[in-house]
Amino acid sequence: MEYMITTKELTKKYKHFTAVNDISLHIRKGSIYGFLGPNGAGKSTTMKMLLGLTAPTNGKFSIDGKTFPNDRISILKEVGSFIESPSFYPNLTGRENLDIIRRILELPQSAVDESLELVGLTEFSNRLAKKYSLGMKQRLGLAGALLGKPPILILDEPTNGLDPSGIHEIRNLIKSLPAIYDCTVLISSHMLSEIELIADDIGILNHGRLLFEGSLDELRQTALEVGFATDNLEDMFLSMIGKDNKSRKQRAKL
Amino acid sequence: MKTLAIEFRKEKRTGILSLMILIGILGAAYVFINFIIRKDTLLSLPLSPMDVLLTQLYGMIMVLNMFGIIVATCMIYNMEFKGSAVKKMYMLPIKVSSIYLCKFVIITFLLFVAICFQNLALTQIGITDLPQGTFEISTLIKFTGYSFVTTMPVLSFMLFVSSRFENMWIPLGIGVAGFLSGMALANSNITLFMIHPFIVMLKPAIAMSAQPNLTVSLIALIETTLFFFAGLWTTKNIRYE
Repeated sequence: MEYMITTKELTKKYKHFTAVNDISLHIRKGSIYGFLGPNGAGKSTTMKMLLGLTAPTNGKFSIDGKTFPNDRISILKEVGSFIESPSFYPNLTGRENLDIIRRILELPQSAVDESLELVGLTEFSNRLAKKYSLGMKQRLGLAGALLGKPPILILDEPTNGLDPSGIHEIRNLIKSLPAIYDCTVLISSHMLSEIELIADDIGILNHGRLLFEGSLDELRQTALEVGFATDNLEDMFLSMIGKDNKSRKQRAKL
Repeated sequence: MKTLAIEFRKEKRTGILSLMILIGILGAAYVFINFIIRKDTLLSLPLSPMDVLLTQLYGMIMVLNMFGIIVATCMIYNMEFKGSAVKKMYMLPIKVSSIYLCKFVIITFLLFVAICFQNLALTQIGITDLPQGTFEISTLIKFTGYSFVTTMPVLSFMLFVSSRFENMWIPLGIGVAGFLSGMALANSNITLFMIHPFIVMLKPAIAMSAQPNLTVSLIALIETTLFFFAGLWTTKNIRYE
């Protein structure tokens, strides 16, 4: 099996707090990988490590066979990303913001229009980014990630702040991306129902540890074997997290 | 060059360009008005006319340039932090240290433009208002170079400080504190105080001669280089999280 992103025993510690603990991910080329976990589970930290925003304390990872920090520029040319909140220059319009990214990526002018069209922001492209609503800023961040159709997309809770129709629209867009231009998507969300609808594979994270990695069918199978509810992904997820939290508390007591 | 062009585009609507041009125009206007009003008093000082022209008017110009630099350096990094744009820059295939370098080049260039305006005004006064045959263009050029070199440590220091704080009020406060402490210590003869970049900038303003001081120039060049490389190193090695 060909993997686009792999991590091996990836760990991130902040003084006495371990944000990410020994996780090994395997993200297949051309797949959508849903990264699930409650708040503070370590999803964003893992994504930040993959983008070189923070250095791992331990472990290693490779993206398309390349590693940080030696291949930083080469990796970032292939990755479109959106981490935590949208990043933009408030003094520039949406179009001007994307134009800055386009120039860095050395893409043709048409890439900006395509990206604006994809996220439905064309109408507001000449408005200053600081005057955008949260949903529009979110779309602008997504447009920046999609600019130039990168082969790898790393999206951290991309539908935050969007209205229900916006969530539906962006979800469908993300779902269609691997088919449109054969990209690999790593998407995190705490909207479990959302991940269930778009992901091929999922990874469940809790307190920095990877509790499960595999396809949805494999998750259902695992859940059945250990006696969890299998009605929907949300139940399985909650059961897994609940069990892990319980055992953590017991370990802490001992 | 690509990064420099991108940086110039980012400055749109920030007001940095107009601020530095305004500093230049204000400095030039101050020179004209001051000399028109105080011409006789200034020329009666026991100094050569060129020393009067350059040292007696430089104080206010220096203060204007100093505040221009403080505000411009705060603004040039504030736009990176305000919408977390700098985070996006770290996720793009661009060397973040080259962004710092380009910001340094842009502010230095804008300062140079402001200084040109101010010195054109000095040249005009020198030609028309100084006693016949006393205006020396070479002295003016030398003093301009000297004041530019002594200004650079503050620019280098402020850009370094601004690049490290997301809250613009911190570098702004450091700049104001630097100005006040510099003013208080500028007249001291203790060489050690010249570690303070604001004191180095103030030196030509408190001197009674327009002749450049080599020690001050050398210290200014060393400080500019040190702060510049400190900024470059931290931008490259201390990541944005």
